[in-house]
Amino acid sequence: MSVALQVSGVRARYGDLEILKGVDIEVPFGEVHVLMGPNGSGKSTLCHVLMGKDEYESSGSALVDGTEVMGLAVDERARAGLFEAFQYPVEVAGVSLNDLLREMGEVRQDPAYAERVEAAADTLDMHRFRERSVNGGLSGGEKKRSEMFQMAVASPKVAILDEIDSGLDIDAVREVAHLVEELRSDDLGVLIITHYSRILRYMNPDKIHVMVNGEVVRTGGPEIAAELEASGYVDLVGNEASIPKPEITPFDV
Amino acid sequence: MKTLDVQASAAAGAVDPDWLAARRKVALDYYDKLDMPSDREEVWRYVDFDFVLGDFGLVDEPGEAHEIDNGIAAALPDIAGSMLLVDGHAVSVNTGDTDAVFGSLRTLLADNPAILEPHVAKGTPADMNKFAAAHTAFGSDGAVLVVPPGTAIERPFFVDIQAATDGAVSFPLITLATGESSQASVVIRYRSDDELNALVVPNLELAVGDNSQLKVTVVQHWGVGTTSVSHLRAVVGRDGSVHIGEAGLGGALSRLQLQIDLEGNGSNANVVGAYFGDESQTLDYRYTMHHQGLNTDSDMFLKGAVQGESLSIFTGMIRIDEEAQKTNAYQTNRNLILSDGAAAQSVPNLEILANDVRCGHGSTMGPLDEEQRYYLMSRGLDGPRSDRLLVHGFFNEALAKFPEPAIADVVTSWIDAKYRAAQEAGTV
Ligand SMILES: Nc1ncnc2c1ncn2[C@@H]1O[C@H](COP(=O)(O)OP(=O)(O)O)[C@@H](O)[C@H]1O
Ligand SMILES: [Mg+2]
Repeated sequence: MSVALQVSGVRARYGDLEILKGVDIEVPFGEVHVLMGPNGSGKSTLCHVLMGKDEYESSGSALVDGTEVMGLAVDERARAGLFEAFQYPVEVAGVSLNDLLREMGEVRQDPAYAERVEAAADTLDMHRFRERSVNGGLSGGEKKRSEMFQMAVASPKVAILDEIDSGLDIDAVREVAHLVEELRSDDLGVLIITHYSRILRYMNPDKIHVMVNGEVVRTGGPEIAAELEASGYVDLVGNEASIPKPEITPFDV
Repeated sequence: MKTLDVQASAAAGAVDPDWLAARRKVALDYYDKLDMPSDREEVWRYVDFDFVLGDFGLVDEPGEAHEIDNGIAAALPDIAGSMLLVDGHAVSVNTGDTDAVFGSLRTLLADNPAILEPHVAKGTPADMNKFAAAHTAFGSDGAVLVVPPGTAIERPFFVDIQAATDGAVSFPLITLATGESSQASVVIRYRSDDELNALVVPNLELAVGDNSQLKVTVVQHWGVGTTSVSHLRAVVGRDGSVHIGEAGLGGALSRLQLQIDLEGNGSNANVVGAYFGDESQTLDYRYTMHHQGLNTDSDMFLKGAVQGESLSIFTGMIRIDEEAQKTNAYQTNRNLILSDGAAAQSVPNLEILANDVRCGHGSTMGPLDEEQRYYLMSRGLDGPRSDRLLVHGFFNEALAKFPEPAIADVVTSWIDAKYRAAQEAGTV
């Protein structure tokens, strides 16, 4: 199967702070991968750098279905097929979700778009939020659902879901996990970012990547999740000398 | 054209009953005594006049009315009555078929002066400033609505106020009075050609009766050469409610000095504004909310944007008297600065003498929010498209609170178009 997302040697800094120190991740079409790591390890920064947020100084390569997106504007990356579900989606007061959906449709010119909006709104029970302002007054779980909804209508080739499970109760985590499994398709590669392993109980990721201090220190199969559940994060990578102990935050499992 | 002098005042008052003649005489004295306002006075700060009132003259015959409708009349397919005032003279009146008295000031002074006496020329004190004095001294016509007690009129009245003669000054008076437990809505539109150099001094006086509801929507769409210095005074009776929306789009200098007196217990006021300055415009808002009765509520909510070299000013005062316990009062003023050369002033003030009140204010200014822009762009919207949506959303928060939604929709589309044109011209 061809590769949905190919990240090679991505580095990023914010001012003097070096955050990403050369990240390599490959997500083939049809697969669901998980990127794990403690708070502050650089997971959200990776999302933003891939999406093109201009506050980071970055280098390296990111191919979305073979197209280099590093250097493109944010919206061009989106239209190249990259979607980021934000860890902290910002409220856009005065702009309704419907306003945003209309604009998303206009820039896509996809005849199937309108139908996809209705279908996803049905599945995700989003109709009642459509006239409300984007993320305005939504609970944590509702914001995540709204992000999933926008992802479904955007129909990306690569979806990066940043902490899609955080702040949710266990039922909601299960629901999100099932939605991701439902979205799994041969036209999509998914990268789920989390610092909890609990979402992994409800889904079958193809691969797990562990990020510490701006580097992917381990990549493996679902068995990594089991190791994490059993012994926590420190034991898993404790033998890596390069990791300064004080910055390690154990997973909350 | 007539100069602003004692003969002009006498001519303007040709049909005055005694009570109005007396008010006019006092005003003329003030007009003679008062100087042009100076930006050294706090209430005129940031405003610099490059003319004196006497540079403009009064017309005997109104100029040609504007033919082009800017969408406002079309947005009001079903109205209770309408009037067109050009250069301060009523040129056409449709009194409608409601139980209310609606007509031109001049006609009603002849036909029904008794109904006018309690209200007309009472709102804005003539000694407030030279413009206010001139208004009462030289004004001769306007629109009057008096709604009898217990009468609810759902359809809005429409008052179209135009300036059409170069070098002319006009003083339209809009007097609106709602009787006990009545209800009415009035839409006022200001309009002139961009090429016109004119001065307009409109005064709005609102007497909101006990337990009545009055909605007033003002669409200020003066041409870029027109200067407007207007006053609005509302007095609200027990359990009365006034809802005012003002859209400020045009004018070289457009000023609105507004004061609402929440006199009656349980009265409330909701004042919304949306303004968008461009080129070298000055948009100047001086608002006072005066809580006098017990248990009164007020909300002032204004959102403005400036681009080009324009300047906007908002000073808001919430004054809560010692007797006005259980007041809820809020004022919010948010400003978008869209070009480097543009500026906004925002000064919220509170003067609270009662102790059992809830009161708050917020004031912000700055460019479009980068996080919001990034979020929208991450959904595939290009930068200019994202910015347009953000500007739209910014104003939508205010326009959604306007009294007449159909008017708010028209204003929204003007604002969207104005911002888009600025994007295309590369000025934002
Ligand atoms: N915009 C920023 N400003 C300052 N520091 C930042 C910024 N973005 C990320 N960082 C820093 O980079 C590190 C990684 O942050 P982040 O990518 O949010 O981690 P994670 O998502 O793994 O919790 C942290 O030390 C964080 O404080
Ligand atoms: Mg994060």
